[in-house]
Amino acid sequence: MHEMPEVILNVNDNEAARYVTTRMLRSAGFQVVEAANGMDALRIAQENRPAVVVLDINLPDISGIEVCRRLKADARTAWSMVLQMSATNIALTDRVESLAAGADSFLIEPVEPEELAAVTRALLRLYRSEHELRLALAERDMLLREVNHRVKNSLQLVLSMLSLQGAGLRDAKARELFAKAISRVTAIASVHEQLYQGRDPLTVDMHTYLTGLCGELARAGIDDASDARLSTEVDNLHLPTEQGVSIALIVNELVMNALKHARPAQGPSRIVVRLAHHGADRARLTVRDNGAGPHAAVANAERPEPGGDRASARAVAADRPAGLGSQLVRMLARQLHGELSFDHTQEGYATHVTFPLQAVPTWRPPS
Amino acid sequence: MAAAVLIVEDQTLIAWHLREIVEQAGLRVVDVARAPDEALDAARRERPDFALMDVRLAHDTSGIDAARLLYECFGVRCIFVSANIDVAMRKRVAGYRPLGFVGKPFLRAELLDALRHAEACISQEDGNGRSAGTD
Repeated sequence: MHEMPEVILNVNDNEAARYVTTRMLRSAGFQVVEAANGMDALRIAQENRPAVVVLDINLPDISGIEVCRRLKADARTAWSMVLQMSATNIALTDRVESLAAGADSFLIEPVEPEELAAVTRALLRLYRSEHELRLALAERDMLLREVNHRVKNSLQLVLSMLSLQGAGLRDAKARELFAKAISRVTAIASVHEQLYQGRDPLTVDMHTYLTGLCGELARAGIDDASDARLSTEVDNLHLPTEQGVSIALIVNELVMNALKHARPAQGPSRIVVRLAHHGADRARLTVRDNGAGPHAAVANAERPEPGGDRASARAVAADRPAGLGSQLVRMLARQLHGELSFDHTQEGYATHVTFPLQAVPTWRPPS
Repeated sequence: MAAAVLIVEDQTLIAWHLREIVEQAGLRVVDVARAPDEALDAARRERPDFALMDVRLAHDTSGIDAARLLYECFGVRCIFVSANIDVAMRKRVAGYRPLGFVGKPFLRAELLDALRHAEACISQEDGNGRSAGTD
């Protein structure tokens, strides 16, 4: 399990005392290296990565307590267990100061061989279990990165496949269907960017998610809708990931629909996506556009009603199964336990989804 | 004449998709390489204006190594296209004067933007005379 045999570093400037300690450790079966002053001790510790450092307090250059502090502060040596020893600095304050500086144990000299061996073994046990935990964590970390990479790569393959297939089509309607499918997959895929970048995998930062998503939608556009102005106003809201993905899919449908159908009589079409707190325990998603016609975003995404009025558009939304887009919006709004509503003001047409905020799951990251 | 682009990507389907987008942008694909040695051969032969570089390549090789070779040997800079673009990765390639970073999964529009930007950088550089790495 351990690639290298564990080494004990024995630090003492007194040659006789150093010899005695090394002999005791060797006869207990340990492999020992030695240092006679603080700076050598630090250098040898960096090179040899000892499991345990047996450290005298009185050293000629820097004190053993300072050596311990530096060992624990250096990432290369922080994992070594430090056993501070002294024959002279043995008052309560010395012992307390040593342990406060990071020492893992303290022994007063002279020490019996059995006790030195037993304490060293105890520290080795601690060292080994910490070492194994570190390895397990590193393995987990690598696994997570690998899975993350795999997921994104697979999503890329899905998108590439759809994109290549769609590009080969002559029929504009068919190409548009592929563009919609790509957009839907992208809305779902882009949550992964969030999940692995953030520290908390259970919630998603809606501001970043929706801003990014709308940026992509604006760039991708739909056919000739590239002159549309798309803006976002998103509160600082962290939603459970499941809810966040539903919201993103609704935004995707409504924005795609607005890009296609919201053509104002003059000037560019403006689309605003807003997600904000609504009362104490609810939030409201609004997608508004300045389009002239009652395309009624959700009413019939694939087949806009020509010449209908607002009321009939709403009726359509409520009663009739329409294109996949509007079905998705209604289904997802239901999944959010939300209410779907529409309005038509001077600012244009708006679709609202008002939904209760769930308790955000708590994530306790490993500290 | 249209800028010449080398694609370095080991996944055939993704390479195909990239080629299609590059051509849609009005640029010319000179070759598709799957590993650093192939990329280097192609660069020697074709002298591309820039490369689209995946970071994890075939046979466990690294696009970062490939990018270094392309830059040091031929002054060819890269747009990195990868599923793991992060601060550490950006830092590692900073010395090879990257032309852009596009995260996977990428969108057509996103890549088209990056290609346009790279093309503008390259033509500006050509106008000033290339500053680094040409042999």
